[in-house]
Amino acid sequence: MRRTPIWLVLLTLLLIALSFYALYPSVKLYSMTGEEQRSLAETDPAELVALEKRAIKLGLDLRGGMHVVLEVDKSKLNDKERVDAVDRALEVIRNRVDEFGVAEPLIQKSGDDRIIVELPGVEDPERARELIGRTAQLEFRLMPEPTDQEAVIRAIDRAVALALPAEMAALAEGSPTSSPATADSIARELFADTSDASVTKDTTEVAQADTAAAAGDSALAVQPFSLLLRSSGGYGFAIEESDVPTVRRYLALPEVVAAIPRGAVVAWGTRESSEGGATYEQLYILNERAELTGQYLTDASPSVDNEMGGYQVNFVLTREGGNRFNRITRANIGKPLVIVLDNRVESAATIQSAIREQGRITLGGGASFEEAKDLSIVLRAGALPAPVIIAENNIVGPSLGRDSIQKGAYSSVIGFILVVLFMAVYYRFSGVVANVGLAFNLLFLMAGMALLDATLTMPGIAGIMLTMGMSVDSNVLIFERVREELRTGKTVRAAIDTGYVRALLTIIDSHVTTLITAAVLFIFGTGPIKGFAVTLFLGILISLFTALFIAKAIFDFRKHSGSLSI
Amino acid sequence: MFKLVGETHFDFLGKRKIGYLVSAALTLLGLVAAVQLWRGEGNLAIEFTGGTMLQGSFAQPVSIGDLRTILSDGGFPEAEIKALQARETPNSFMIRVKEDVGGQAQAAQKLVDLVKARLPDNAFHVDSMHEVGPSVGETLRSQAGRAAMIALVCILIYIWFRFDFRFGVASTVATVHDVLVVLGILFLFSREISLLVVSGLLTLAGFSLTDKVVVFDRVRENLKQFRRRSDFGQTVNNSMNEVLSRTIVTGITTQLAVIILMIFGGEVLFDFSLTIFLGFIVGTYSSWFVASPLVVDWEAKRPSRFK
Repeated sequence: MRRTPIWLVLLTLLLIALSFYALYPSVKLYSMTGEEQRSLAETDPAELVALEKRAIKLGLDLRGGMHVVLEVDKSKLNDKERVDAVDRALEVIRNRVDEFGVAEPLIQKSGDDRIIVELPGVEDPERARELIGRTAQLEFRLMPEPTDQEAVIRAIDRAVALALPAEMAALAEGSPTSSPATADSIARELFADTSDASVTKDTTEVAQADTAAAAGDSALAVQPFSLLLRSSGGYGFAIEESDVPTVRRYLALPEVVAAIPRGAVVAWGTRESSEGGATYEQLYILNERAELTGQYLTDASPSVDNEMGGYQVNFVLTREGGNRFNRITRANIGKPLVIVLDNRVESAATIQSAIREQGRITLGGGASFEEAKDLSIVLRAGALPAPVIIAENNIVGPSLGRDSIQKGAYSSVIGFILVVLFMAVYYRFSGVVANVGLAFNLLFLMAGMALLDATLTMPGIAGIMLTMGMSVDSNVLIFERVREELRTGKTVRAAIDTGYVRALLTIIDSHVTTLITAAVLFIFGTGPIKGFAVTLFLGILISLFTALFIAKAIFDFRKHSGSLSI
Repeated sequence: MFKLVGETHFDFLGKRKIGYLVSAALTLLGLVAAVQLWRGEGNLAIEFTGGTMLQGSFAQPVSIGDLRTILSDGGFPEAEIKALQARETPNSFMIRVKEDVGGQAQAAQKLVDLVKARLPDNAFHVDSMHEVGPSVGETLRSQAGRAAMIALVCILIYIWFRFDFRFGVASTVATVHDVLVVLGILFLFSREISLLVVSGLLTLAGFSLTDKVVVFDRVRENLKQFRRRSDFGQTVNNSMNEVLSRTIVTGITTQLAVIILMIFGGEVLFDFSLTIFLGFIVGTYSSWFVASPLVVDWEAKRPSRFK
C-alpha cells in the first residue's frame, strides 16, 4: 500500500471542522444554566430558538414531556366519513396543540386509526391530556317540558324499583318515620321553581325532599331515584356527592336505559356545586335531539363575565348557523337552552331573546380562566370527527429526565475511560491509535446526530456505549492480524499492509450484520428505541471509517520507523 | 507487547458433545419461555400487556410494606411495588398495575389519589407515568415479533449471500440458539421483558453473528490455504484458536461498557444491558460449541468439495 493520499487527510480535516461546527450549538445550549437560558429567552429569543433547532435534541425520556397515542373510534361513522376521519382528527389535534403553545410538538399518524402526539417539556400534563383527548362534540339542546321531565323521572323510579326488588325492600324498611309522599308529590316539588327560572342561576338552593315511604301501590312504594334528587334551583337536579355512585348505578341498569321515554336523555353537568358543606353534582333531563352542533361555530374567545363574576366564552356562528339559531331561539323565548359538550352539560340558561350569530356560554362561579380558555380553544379548533380514546399515555417528569441524563453521562465517561485505559495498556502505541480513532468516532457520531436532527434518548446513550466497544473491535481485528503477521517474520511495513488487507473483509462482514439489526430497529421502533437504533447505526458506520482511514493513516505515518508496539 | 492470550491450542471440537447437550437443554428452556411469553404468561412489560406504571417519590421515607397495604386496601391487591435508586428523587418507588386503562379508567390517577389520600402528611410527587391500553399492547407485541422476524431474515439473506450454504445455516442456528437461551435465562429469573429488552435481543443477534462471521472468515481463508494438507475439523479448530485473542479482547472492551451501564445506567437500562451482557457470553460460547461443531459434523456426515 502506498502513502496516505492527500485527499484523505483533507477529508478528515474537513470532517473534523464540520463536526465542530455542527456541535457548537449543542455545546453552547447545554452548557448554559437554566438561568442563562431564561435570560437569553428574554433578550434574544430568536437566538435561543436557533440554538435549540441546531442542537442535538433530547428525547422525552431525558428532557421530560408526554407521549400520547390516540385511537380514533370509527365504529359510529359511515363509510364516507371513515375515509378521512383520522386525517381530520389529526388536523384538529394539531390546531389544538398549536394553540396550547408547546415548543416542537410532534403529531403524526400511526397505522390505520392511531395518532401519536409528543409534547416535550410539558409542565401540566393533565391539562394537555384533557385538551388533546377531548372529543368536543358541541351541541345546543332544549329541555323537555316539565311534565315530560316528570314522566322520565317516574319511569326511572319504576324501572329501578322493579329491577332491584330486594334493595327496595331494604330501602322501605330503613325509612319508616318520614312522612308519606308519592312519586308525584316529589316530582311536583322538584319542579316547583324550575318553571320561572331566570338566567342568573348560580346558587343552589337545596330543598330537602321528603323521603318517600310505604304509601302507594306495592311495587312502587319506594321511589328510589327521586329520593336522591334535590331541587337545584337551576335547570337540573342536585345530587349529593355520596349519592352519585348510586345514581350512576341506577342509570346504568339496562331496565332503566330501556325505560327512559324516547326523545329524552339524562346527562350530567360538568361542574359540581357546594352548599352548606356538602358537594353536589348536577343531573339534567334533555331532549335527545341537538338543535345546532359545533360545526356552525367560527370563533370563540374567553372573557370575564362582568355581570356575574367568573368567566364566559363568547362565540360566533356562521351565517347559516346564525339563521338556524335565530329560528330556534325565537320560537323558544323563556325556555332553557342547554349547551352540551361531549354529552355533559356545560351550561344552561333561559333564552332571553332571539340570538343570531353571536352568543356566549357562561361558565358559572367554579370555573377558572384556564377552563374558559381551554374551552374556547376546543371550540375554535373544531370538533373531532369521531371520539378519540387515549390508548397510551407516557409522561416523564423533568426531574426523572435530569436523573437519567446524569446516569447516562456517568456511564459514558466511566465506560470511555475504562476502554481507553485497557486499550492503551494492552496494545501500547497501537492502543493509543485505536483510542484516537475512538475519540474521532464519538466526535463524528455526535456531530452526525446534530446534522441529521436525530434525537438522543436513554437507550441511545446505551447505543453510544456499545459503539465504543464495537469501534474498538475493528482495530482489535486489525491489530491481532498484524501481530500474527509479525510473528511470521514479516517487516513492520509488510505486516501492517497485509494485516489491514486481510482484516478488511472480516470487518465489513461483521459490521453489516449489526447495521441490519440497527436498520430494522430504526424502521420498527418508536421513541427511545429509535434513538438506540440511530446511535448504533451511525456509530458502526463511523467506526468503519475511523478504523479503515484514520487509524490506517496514523500507522502509515509510523511504519517507516521500523519498530511497532502493538 | 502485552498479551492476554498467546498461541493457543484448545480442543474446542473435542468438547462439542457436552456443548450440544448444554445447548439443547438451554434451547428447550428458551422455547418454553418464548411460548409462555407469546401466550401472555410471564413477566411481560405493560407495553405488551397493557397496564399502568407509576413512578413517584415521597418527601419522607415510606416502607414498601406500608405502600403495599395502602394499594391493596384501595383495590389494587396485585400491584407490584419496587424501591428505586435515584439521585434527584430519593424515596422513589415504581408501582405497576396490570389493569387496562380502557381509555378513561385512568388507573394512574386513581393510584396517585389513593396514595395522597392515605399519606396526607407525606408529599408524593409523580416523576413519571405510563398508561398503556390493551389495544396498543397487542399491536406492540405483534410489531415486536414482526421486527424480530424481519431482522433475522435480513441477516440470513446477507449471511447466505456472503457465505457457503452450510456456514450460513450453522450461523443461523447458533444465533437463534443465542436469542432463545438469553430469553430463557431472563424468563427463568423473571426479568421484565420490555420493548427495550426485545431490542437488546435483536442487538445481541447482530453481535453474535459478528462473532461467527469472524470465525468463519478465518476458516474460509485457512481452507483456501491448506486445502490438501489438513483435515477439515483441524482447520476449523485452528481457526478458532487463531481468532481467540480477538474474541477475548473485543469481549472485554464491550463488556466493560455494558457492565458500567448495568451499574450506573439506572432502572431503564438495566435489563437491556443484562440482555447484551448475557448475549455476549452466550454468543461467544455458541461460536465455539454450536456453530463451528455443526459445520464440522455436517462435513463428516456428507463431505463437501472442501475435502
